[in-house]
Amino acid sequence: MTRRCEETIVRIYPDDEMKTPMHMSMGQEAVAVGVCRALGNNGDVVASYRSHATYLAQTEDHGSFFGELHGRVNGTADGKSGSMHLADIPKGMLGSTGIVAAGIPVAVGAAFANKQNSPGRIAAAFFGDGATDEGVFWESLNVSCAMGLPMMFVCEDNDLAVHTRKSHRQGFNSLVEVVKKYRCSVYEDDTNDVESIYAMTRSAIAQIIAMGTPAFLNVKTYRYLEPCGTTMDSDAPYRRAEEDAYWKGRDCVALQRARLLANGLAEKDVVAVENEINAAILASVAAAKAAAHPTPQQLYYGVFYEAP
Amino acid sequence: MTHQAQPTALSYREALFKAMHDAMALPNTLVFGQGVNDHKGIFGTTTGLGEKFGKNRMIEVPLAEEGVTGICIGAALNGAYPINIHIRADFVLLAMNQIINLAAKYKYMFGGLFDVPMLVRLVIGRSWGQGAQHSQSLQSLFAHIPGLRVIMPASSGAIVDSYAHAVQHHRGPVISLEHRLMYDLTFERDHEPTVLGKTPFSQRRVRKGNDVTVVSTSIMSLEARRAADWLADRGVSCDVIDLHCVSHIDANVIMESVGRTGRLLVADTSWQPYGVGAEICRIVCERDPGALKAPVVTLGMAAAPCPTAKSLEDIYYPNLTTLTDSIAKLVRGKADHGIELPHERSMADVYKRFKGPF
Ligand SMILES: Cc1ncc(C[n+]2csc(CCOP(=O)(O)OP(=O)(O)O)c2C)c(N)n1
Repeated sequence: MTRRCEETIVRIYPDDEMKTPMHMSMGQEAVAVGVCRALGNNGDVVASYRSHATYLAQTEDHGSFFGELHGRVNGTADGKSGSMHLADIPKGMLGSTGIVAAGIPVAVGAAFANKQNSPGRIAAAFFGDGATDEGVFWESLNVSCAMGLPMMFVCEDNDLAVHTRKSHRQGFNSLVEVVKKYRCSVYEDDTNDVESIYAMTRSAIAQIIAMGTPAFLNVKTYRYLEPCGTTMDSDAPYRRAEEDAYWKGRDCVALQRARLLANGLAEKDVVAVENEINAAILASVAAAKAAAHPTPQQLYYGVFYEAP
Repeated sequence: MTHQAQPTALSYREALFKAMHDAMALPNTLVFGQGVNDHKGIFGTTTGLGEKFGKNRMIEVPLAEEGVTGICIGAALNGAYPINIHIRADFVLLAMNQIINLAAKYKYMFGGLFDVPMLVRLVIGRSWGQGAQHSQSLQSLFAHIPGLRVIMPASSGAIVDSYAHAVQHHRGPVISLEHRLMYDLTFERDHEPTVLGKTPFSQRRVRKGNDVTVVSTSIMSLEARRAADWLADRGVSCDVIDLHCVSHIDANVIMESVGRTGRLLVADTSWQPYGVGAEICRIVCERDPGALKAPVVTLGMAAAPCPTAKSLEDIYYPNLTTLTDSIAKLVRGKADHGIELPHERSMADVYKRFKGPF
């Protein structure tokens, strides 16, 4: 569903009706879907600006997703947030932020509150490898380990911060080895396989609950599209042809589809589900376009917590 | 004497590239930034300079805004001229500790022992769904702090001259707020505003007039020029002052103009409370409030975070119509001033060949 939503974005973005920068998840969806499925209804999630997959995996709500991208009142924030700040409180999506790494301590705070108020509930921060350059990532890791919080760090490791590789930005060879020195459990995955990521996350959750300490998940993945925008930039100088081919050869959606067929599902049944998803997405896009624009009164609403 | 031919017109982007190139041609300059050496090169303002001058001086940095700012300060103490670039002004908020607690105070706090010559380039990302965290115009925050020099270049000439002055002559930290919407605009050298002082950091006169003083910043200076041109054909003559350096304002320039016109409108790119408009009012009120024949009018962003939806963004920022209308009301002293207004909803539509995302 996430993939189909983004394919739809790629198709209709040039119409210029969604006036918001797009940080696309395409290629990386297995991380969000695997982790959020494993959290089920018992997790709080904070995402980065690359929030589409996380939001859709956590909420399964492409109606308000497309409403928000179109800047309409049926969006997650009445059109005020655009693509970078998707949120949904009842579904445990506590926000996404355009400032790299800024959401990580917010998730730690949610974990802190959960420890007091909702035992067994876990908070997860999604972020890229670039975010681990930032001081606030290390502060957050330190605090959660020192305090023993029910916190899950999920690093979507695509090796790139915009166009710059980890090797260029980081003075250590393995983040995982460094984090292992902290009082938390560390997990790694480079399969791009949603079921493998799901299983790993289930173990991490079990450990967080059993030990009362955080978990750190490093999931290797690959971003298909340009850092911000909807086009493929395979020819850009920072890309590597072998890497591109390697990851596109183990596309997470294709992997899962092949597995379903191998497990005995009929092609026509898979196609039927896909068609159903596509139709629902098109209905969401149509609903977004038909929805009202926010009124001028909306401009000041919420600034200082005044009543509506 | 050799005479280097200067082009007669430069885009804002070309001016930035020239300024970066000329700075790098000096041996002590270091440029630090995320993306300075990638193929996009900070919107084309650093492209190829790493290859030409060495990537040990054009330095691609990790995401570490506070750390890198401190590193710039340390390098400046030891003889370098660091330039630190943030592709959005919003990201510098992570570095405020180093800028405000250290860079701004380093000379004073140590009894004048040190100079901290450095330039911080910040890009204001207005419009096209940039939203709350990629569009802020933070000049007042910096201008509030003694020790910082805050400029908002509003033309190619302002870029080239001010950056050369910063790099070659100014011995303290300079914060420059560039405006993303101006990058593709071309400025002709013959139409550059007149510099009203001794250095390139001085205020500028965009247009001379006698009915009303319009003090403006950054892209609002372009809007003020357009409004003034429009109104000039309709019998209203505006004295337009591009503030340029918002931290160091020559009160004489403001008072001379207000003394002639008796009316003042301030058009800033940011929020009004505690902002540039308030500061200009302070200057006038402390010197000669009697010079004013009418209450001051200020324009800026709506007092809210920036919404993403275009329908809200269009009313969030003042546009040519609201600016022209405000000037006309002020000059005629009534709402039904009878002056025809230009019809334009969104400035972004006019200035923009730029269409998101970056
Ligand atoms: C504090 C801050 N610095 C810089 C930026 C500009 N920026 C946006 S995305 C990005 C790269 C982040 O890379 P990563 O965390 O790996 O996430 P990815 O984009 O790969 O998902 C940068 C530097 C920003 N948004 N916030």
